[in-house]
Amino acid sequence: MTGRTGRRRIGIGTGLVQGLIVTAKTMLRPSHTDEYPDVRPSLPSRSRGVIGLVQENCTSCGLCARECPDWCIQIEAHKETLPAVAGGRARQRNVLDSFTIDFSLCMYCGICVEVCPFDALIWSSEFEYAEYDIVDLTHDRGRLSQWAATAPPPPPADPAAVEPKEVGAARKALERAAKKAAAPRTAPAGASPAAKKAAAAEKAAAVKKAVPVEKAVPVERQATEPPEERGTGARGEADS
Amino acid sequence: MTTELGMPTLGVLQTAAPHPLRLVLNWGRRYSLWVFNFGLACCAIEFIATSMARHDFIRFGVIPFAHGPRQADLMVTSGTVSDKMAPALRRLWEQMAEPKYVISFGACSNSGGPYWDSYCVTKGVDQIIPVDVYVPGCPPRPEALLQAIVKLQEKIADENLRDRYTRRAPGVGALTRGLVHGSPTGTVTVSAPSAASGQAPGSADTPRSSS
Amino acid sequence: MDTAAASEVSAAANEISRTSGPGTGGSGGRPVTVGLGAGGLATSDMVLNIGPQHPATHGVLRLRLVVDAERIVSAEPVVGYMHRGAEKLFEVRDYRQIIVLANRHDWLSAFANELGVVLATEEMLGMEVPERAVWIRTLLSEINRILSHLMFLGSYPLELGAITPVFYSFREREELQSVLEEVSGGRIHYMFNRVGGLKEDVPAGWTVRVAQALRAVRHRMPDLENILMGNEILRGRTLGVGVLPRELAAAYGVSGPIARAGGLDLDLRRDEPYLAYGELFAPGGPGRVVTRQEGDCYARLEVLLEQVQVSLDIAETCVDRLRSLGNGPVNVRLPKVLKVPAGHVYRWTENPLGINGYYLVSRGDKVPWRLKLRSASFNNVQVLSEMLPGCLLADMVSIMGSMFFVVGDVDK
Repeated sequence: MTGRTGRRRIGIGTGLVQGLIVTAKTMLRPSHTDEYPDVRPSLPSRSRGVIGLVQENCTSCGLCARECPDWCIQIEAHKETLPAVAGGRARQRNVLDSFTIDFSLCMYCGICVEVCPFDALIWSSEFEYAEYDIVDLTHDRGRLSQWAATAPPPPPADPAAVEPKEVGAARKALERAAKKAAAPRTAPAGASPAAKKAAAAEKAAAVKKAVPVEKAVPVERQATEPPEERGTGARGEADS
Repeated sequence: MTTELGMPTLGVLQTAAPHPLRLVLNWGRRYSLWVFNFGLACCAIEFIATSMARHDFIRFGVIPFAHGPRQADLMVTSGTVSDKMAPALRRLWEQMAEPKYVISFGACSNSGGPYWDSYCVTKGVDQIIPVDVYVPGCPPRPEALLQAIVKLQEKIADENLRDRYTRRAPGVGALTRGLVHGSPTGTVTVSAPSAASGQAPGSADTPRSSS
Repeated sequence: MDTAAASEVSAAANEISRTSGPGTGGSGGRPVTVGLGAGGLATSDMVLNIGPQHPATHGVLRLRLVVDAERIVSAEPVVGYMHRGAEKLFEVRDYRQIIVLANRHDWLSAFANELGVVLATEEMLGMEVPERAVWIRTLLSEINRILSHLMFLGSYPLELGAITPVFYSFREREELQSVLEEVSGGRIHYMFNRVGGLKEDVPAGWTVRVAQALRAVRHRMPDLENILMGNEILRGRTLGVGVLPRELAAAYGVSGPIARAGGLDLDLRRDEPYLAYGELFAPGGPGRVVTRQEGDCYARLEVLLEQVQVSLDIAETCVDRLRSLGNGPVNVRLPKVLKVPAGHVYRWTENPLGINGYYLVSRGDKVPWRLKLRSASFNNVQVLSEMLPGCLLADMVSIMGSMFFVVGDVDK
């Protein structure tokens, strides 16, 4: 602590003058006010503003609703039997009827997002949803899907961070695919499905390098395969 | 024990004003909201942050210098209202002069939030006072409060005070809307005019007896 | 209640004007009333209720004062207006859900509160936390300490009537909150701790931005210091006012900056190191315990201000250390259902406001059987009943403001 500010008696008025100098200095600097309604704040992508729902990913397993400390998630679903495809058996899958989150109750802890095994819930940094009536704070799945569309991509992790499990698994799968593709060199190029896969894998690897995401699953899905196939496949596996 | 001071009532100007005049009155009310911070918990910190230079809600005409409820037009309940605190909250709300507005800031004051299963927390401030705007968040960002203020100003801009106070008739605890979503779109009308006006006579001004 | 209180206030004002102004210089004892005519004007004790919602009591603490003219005869803090039953709620929540609730009792130091819970749980589980997580935790809890101190450095002058400093302190707070939001997603409640480490690793480039923010805060701290500490009005209202001697602090279990301002040299970061504090508070490290001897309001403010500097030093060391650490995980894999073995443990941490203790009793379930909080503010507020008697009513505000408490931490 400097002597100036210590307990020692100082001249009358010097403290006030000192304060006024600070004020005057600050007055000359530009203000740091955010012009909120005109200028939207730039929020970090981890910001916990609102929870979005990717309906295709939801298997209505109910983990989020069970783990929520506030019990603010409500899920209704029914089972549906898919007709057997050739050579297979009939499969059952859950069909989501309603998915609501009561944001008047939500405490924004992110446990639901964390426990969701299929990344159906994601954080968006949107915050503008104050309402005149508390009932409107309960968002149904349509509204939640709209929020999901606004979710920013996750930030790249620190170089010193360990590779997330999903990314590691994806990388290994890519290496395997690449090895497989490299082995039958003699096959006509472009015609073999393996080569196609390898090309897709390379593309995915490029994407991943650009964005070393932690939750690589959704990104990879977009990059490699059409979403419906993968989505139903995962759901079928989970249910059977 | 307390002295009945009486509540300042709305003048003829307010209740029977023609449209253009009302427009001017609403415009004036809209941009000079003296705010009374009912700071209770975490959200109060975000309220203070909103009043500071970075977010600065004085830009919107929200003035945080009300010395007490009597001078205030807007009450922001930010934080958990416990059952012990609830009578004080109600009392201070009653001391505010008409027209008055309430913003419920944060999950705790919306519906109890993280303390939804606590034995001593009021599950929502709207059980004891009427709320105009609900802000979700735990705590909401300062920008969320700014958005709520803008929203409240929009509400003030096209309101008719006579409607506001005749419609509030049943008293604050009463049910004025369905408990569940009425329609799949999630739009539930705020007012229930037929039910409200049925019980209206006799209690048209603010309820004075605290519960 | 309020109108009654108001009439009492006006009665007090009348009495004050009748007594001989501030001429009651002696310490303690009854004020000397100047008699007009035959005999002195009799003063009688009066009960004055302050709070629960009062501008001078930040938060909803209520004080029941018995005043004789303008001197306080006895004071009784009435707590419980913010009681939310968190301890009871802990018993029906699993260990991850507890973290969410635990950071809300002292809302200015959410990270430090989370930390105490997870440290206690980890000790019960005998879990080793990765080194990287330890350093990130240390860094974040120091930033959190700065945030909390800045809040009080702003709000205390506000209670004394100075509006300007709070703008400066909130400017720094915003700076730090933005880096905390970037890493955890929350501005106030971080929810970043997990049993066994942290939720996730920091984003790329975050360490650079933290260092920048810390530098910016350090660069601007002299502004806040200049505006505060030299000010004659502030000095006049705080120097020699509300002395909390060492013995009294110890007797009431007062801890943290308030106790250290009176010479009670106790800081768990040095005395019972957790996280990486053992290394940081070792000789040659950036950590040092800030103490004063005077124990008055001014000393408490000084301690706060200097602790910000120390915390900045510690945080910068943590950032450097974090950069030099090799690759590593920030959490350990947990079982799907985390059950803590039966037993009990008491962990305490040095929160920004003082010692926070967590007594965790488990019976082997996935929820604790009991999680008792020992919160710093509760003790810090109780001592008011000893400090306020004998003081002038006008000094009540400056004493109470300088006790640096958070009402949620008092009532839990």
